[in-house]
Amino acid sequence: MCTVASEPHKGKVERSENACILMASFGWKRKVGEKVSKATVQLFEAEAEAEAEAEAEGAGHEPDDDEVDWLHAIKRRREVLLEDCAAKSKRLKDEGALLAEEGRHWEAIRRWDEAIQLTPEDAALYEMKSQVLTLLQEVFPAVQAAETAAKLRPLWWAAWQTLGRAQLSLGEVDLAVRSFQVAVHLCPSERPLWEEDLSWAQMLQRQSREMHEKARQEEEARQQLLHAPELVPDYDFESDEVVAACTAIAERQKRYEGLRKTAVLVDARGTVVTTPESKDNPSPPQSQFVKARGP
Amino acid sequence: MSTQYSILFKQEHAHDDAIWTTAWGQNEKDRTETIITGSLDDTVKVWKWSDEKLELQWTLEGHQLGVVSVDISHNGALAASSSLDAHIRLWDLESGKQVKSMDAGPVDAWTVAFSPDSKYIATGSHLGKVNIFGVDSGKKEHSLDTRGKFILSIAYSPDGKYLASGAIDGIINIFDIATGKLLHTLEGHAMPIRSLTFSPDSQLLVTASDDGYIKIYDVQHANLAGTLSGHASWVLNVAFSPDDTHFVSSSSDKSVKVWDASSRACVNTFFDHQDQVWSVKYNGNGSKIVSAGDDRAIHIYDCPM
Repeated sequence: MCTVASEPHKGKVERSENACILMASFGWKRKVGEKVSKATVQLFEAEAEAEAEAEAEGAGHEPDDDEVDWLHAIKRRREVLLEDCAAKSKRLKDEGALLAEEGRHWEAIRRWDEAIQLTPEDAALYEMKSQVLTLLQEVFPAVQAAETAAKLRPLWWAAWQTLGRAQLSLGEVDLAVRSFQVAVHLCPSERPLWEEDLSWAQMLQRQSREMHEKARQEEEARQQLLHAPELVPDYDFESDEVVAACTAIAERQKRYEGLRKTAVLVDARGTVVTTPESKDNPSPPQSQFVKARGP
Repeated sequence: MSTQYSILFKQEHAHDDAIWTTAWGQNEKDRTETIITGSLDDTVKVWKWSDEKLELQWTLEGHQLGVVSVDISHNGALAASSSLDAHIRLWDLESGKQVKSMDAGPVDAWTVAFSPDSKYIATGSHLGKVNIFGVDSGKKEHSLDTRGKFILSIAYSPDGKYLASGAIDGIINIFDIATGKLLHTLEGHAMPIRSLTFSPDSQLLVTASDDGYIKIYDVQHANLAGTLSGHASWVLNVAFSPDDTHFVSSSSDKSVKVWDASSRACVNTFFDHQDQVWSVKYNGNGSKIVSAGDDRAIHIYDCPM
C-alpha cells in the first residue's frame, strides 16, 4: 500500500519535497467525483499519465493504455496511485544510486528511505542501503537493512552476500560465513562469492578460533604462574630443589611471555584479527564500491 | 497399504540449520531402510527408518562447510556427500566411519551421484565438466566436458547407458557413458536446473528449474514431451517413483507435489513444510516419500500403491 504513514524503518525520515507532493496528490485524488470539477480531474489524470509514462521508460513498466477511459477512471484510481508510487520509488532509487556512486552516502540513504516509504516491499532498496551503511561504518543499521532484504527476497543471493559483509563489519564472523554459504548455495556460479567473500570469512573464522585458543593457553599459563606447585611450602628446602623450582618457574614465565609476544593484529575495523598475510591468503573483497541492484 | 496420500511422520529439528539434501537407501543384506540428510550445519545424519519412525543412527562430522548433496550406493552400504568445502567424502553406513575424502578442487563438487554399479561417483564442476571419481581409487578417473556453464545437477540412467547434467544457464546435456560422447544438448530452461531424474525404464528425463517449470523429455529422441506448471516458485528437486507411474517435486513455494507420469497432472500437493523444500526422494518400492528443507524438518509421506 502506498501510505506515507507506514514507517518500517527506524531513524528519522525527512519529509522532503517529494513526500509532500505525494501527500498533496493523494488528497487531491480523493476528491475526485466530489467537489473537483471534471476539467481539473482530467487535467490531473493527463498529467499523471504523462508523468508515469515518462518514468516508466527504462523501468520495464507496461505501457499505459492508449485511450484513457474516463468512465472507469475512478475505479482505476488505486492502480494509478500504486503505479505512481512504484515510479516515484524507482526514480528515488536511481537517484540514490547515483549519489552513492559520487560518495554522497547520507544523501543516498535519504533518497532510499523515501523510496522505502513508497514501496516498503522492495528488497533492493534495503540491500543498497545496507551496502552504503556498511561503508559508513554504521554496522548495526547495515545488518538490520540487509536482514530485511534477505527476508523480503530469500532467494536473492545478493541480499545474503550484503548481509554477510555487514555481519563481518560487525565482527560476527560465524554468522557471515553462514550468510555467504546461503548465497553460494543459491548462486554457485558467482565466483567472487567463493573466492572473495566465503574464503575471506573462513580465514577470519580460523584466525578468531586461533585467537580464542591462544587466549585460553595464555590464561592457563598465567594460572600456572600463580599457582606454581613448587611454591607450595613444605618448609624443607634443599638448595637443589629450590634451584629446580626457580628454573621451572622461569621456564613457565618464558612460555607465558612467549605466548604474549605472538602477534595478533587487529585490523582497521578493530573487530577482526589478522596475522601477517602470505601471498596465497585470501584477501578481503575488493568490490567495496556500491553496486546498483535490482531490475 | 494406504489408499491415499498422507503425511506419516515428522522429525522436527532434525539438524541445527537448513537441510539441503536427502537420500533414501536400502541395505541389500538385511533389507533395513536408511535415510541420510545433509545440512548447512556441516553434518550428515544417518537415520534408520523402521516401525514408521526415524531413529538417528550416526552424525557424520568432517565437512568444514554446508553439505550440498548426498547419495547412497545401490547396495545400501556406502554414502557419498559433497560440501561447499570442495570435498567429497565416502562413509561406511554400518560403522558410521569415513572411508575416503576426495579433494575435488575449489567449486568443483556439487551434486553427487553413484553410478548404477556403484563403482563411480559423478559430480558437476564450475567449468562445465562432469568429473567421475572411482569409489575404490578415490581419484578422478574420467571427465566429460559439456563446454558449458556450472553444472548443478547430475543423474545416471538406471540402465547405465546415459548420464544427464543440468547447468546453471538451463542447458541439459546427455552423454553416452560407454563412449563418453555427448549425445544431446537441449536448451531446456532459461534458468538454473537444480535437479533432474530418469524414469526407472530410462526412457524419460524429468528436469526442475528456477523458472518454476518441470519438463519431461523423451531420452532417445531428445524430444520435449511435456511442460508442467503448478509450483509458484523455483522447483528445487525432482525424483521418479520406482514403479514408473509417478514422480515428485519440491519447491521454494514450500510445497511437495506428486505428478502422474502418463497424464502429467498433479495428483497431490503436500503443504506441510514451513519453508523452502530443498530435497525430495522416494523409497525403494515407491510407497513412501521423504522431504526436507530450510525448516530443518524431515517429513515422510505415505503413497497409495
